[in-house]
Amino acid sequence: MSHSDTIPLHPSSQSDIDEIENLINADVHSVTVLPARPPSPPRVSIPISHSPSPLPPYQKVPPSASPPPVVPAVPAAAAAPAGSSRIGISSDAFGSPPDTLTEPVWDTVKRDLARIVSNLKLVVFPNPYREDPGRALRDWDLWGPFFFIVFLGLTLSWSASAKKSEVFAVAFAILAAGAIILTLNVLLLGGHIIFFQSLSLLGYCLFPLAIGALICMLEGNVIIKIVVVSITLAWSCWAAYPFMSAAVNPRRKALALYPVFLMYISVAFFIIAID
Amino acid sequence: MEEGYTSLPASHLLGSVPAVIAEDKTTSVASEAASTANLHLFPPSNGGYQAPGTPSGADEQTTSSWQGVFSISSYSSYFNVDTDVVVERIISSVYPMNDFYRKIDGNPDLYGPIWISATLMFMLAALGNFGTYLMKKRNDSSTTWTFDVTYVEWSACAIFGYMLAVPAAFYFLLQYFGFRTSLVRLWCMWGYSLFIFMPICLLLVVPVELFRWIIILLAGIASSWFIAVNLKAYTQSSDLMMLIVGAMVLQFALALFIKMFFFP
Repeated sequence: MSHSDTIPLHPSSQSDIDEIENLINADVHSVTVLPARPPSPPRVSIPISHSPSPLPPYQKVPPSASPPPVVPAVPAAAAAPAGSSRIGISSDAFGSPPDTLTEPVWDTVKRDLARIVSNLKLVVFPNPYREDPGRALRDWDLWGPFFFIVFLGLTLSWSASAKKSEVFAVAFAILAAGAIILTLNVLLLGGHIIFFQSLSLLGYCLFPLAIGALICMLEGNVIIKIVVVSITLAWSCWAAYPFMSAAVNPRRKALALYPVFLMYISVAFFIIAID
Repeated sequence: MEEGYTSLPASHLLGSVPAVIAEDKTTSVASEAASTANLHLFPPSNGGYQAPGTPSGADEQTTSSWQGVFSISSYSSYFNVDTDVVVERIISSVYPMNDFYRKIDGNPDLYGPIWISATLMFMLAALGNFGTYLMKKRNDSSTTWTFDVTYVEWSACAIFGYMLAVPAAFYFLLQYFGFRTSLVRLWCMWGYSLFIFMPICLLLVVPVELFRWIIILLAGIASSWFIAVNLKAYTQSSDLMMLIVGAMVLQFALALFIKMFFFP
């Protein structure tokens, strides 16, 4: 083991580094559990340089000392390729990895954007390789829903000709509180969902309505607005349906789905009526 | 059996939604017995957990732990209804016949009141604005029509305020007069009584003033009659006629408020 030139950053990380090295050397073929989260960037050990000026501990060292596997650009595709399983164990076991603190901001933003795009592709777009809809969005995040809710609120507020700030407040409150109340509704009906995963999914299903609101802001004719909003409303409901219906007892499916449709229909009406 | 959905273990599936698998669960019987207990106490008082071995006669348990108020599972006994049960209750609320209270006696639910109120709130805001739009078009005025978003706020305050405050007030009054009623049943009944205003809203959009007044008077009378019949079943005496008349007047006042504020 080549630990003589490394400083472990945490007392318990020595054994963890041993573990990583074992994995890398043993060339594991997807034996490890697929991570619930995408593997975070590799943990860099800071080498003791024998030159008189040691590096300050938190300066980013280019990870050329240990062979880092390339972090896949689309983390959700980590389900398939075996190449990313070299660091198959999620980094949660290692304490806080310093790389997400010391990496460039652009890397963090790029990773989050990639996750948003991949979640969108999973949830909203028709996907013939879609997994069992009850298991969608294994890698949920809340950035996507946040962006869509704020974007929808801003678009409605720009479209309104009077009381713009009230329009934004009402739209934001309905969407945010609505997502929470809908999740609680499913839990109270005896369904089985994970709270934040459901919030995330309901937020992602707003994406078609956000597109519809943008089109309606640019277009003034009422008939076109009605057509566009109807199409995007149907798309949103189609995206949310399998997830919600899989979460409850089939005899209560309509009870769980009706409030979802109610919220999307009221937002759709809001979009049409704001002028 | 399908009762097992309430006790599927799911917390070990980190980060994924467990698909609903039709396995049989042996604890389903115990959870079914536990879910019908404590329905007459509104804030659930036993922390929401009933061990599978406790008999169903534990509904007079006095282990009043306040943590029951904050846990979700202790409220799910008030949502123990299926789709067909809810639809049946809604249909029987439209005709002011006298068997609604029998339907909800064993299993009052809060799903109906909450979502009927929410639907009514959105319909009032949306159709109220649509109504003003039609009036403006009919009068052909030169002023432009804007969507009045304060309708949403007013309808939320009016409907939810009415739904929360009036049954609670009647609960306290009935307790004062010595009748043992259950707050959940009162909320359930008042909630379902609001259902009739939903189709009425659709009809109120027609911009003919006389038609609107006739419709709202009929709706107000029907709804007040429903409330009176069901309250009488709880009080079972004629001493409290004033209370019942008060309830009818309040319901009628709500109907008038809906007409005058949202469809002027």
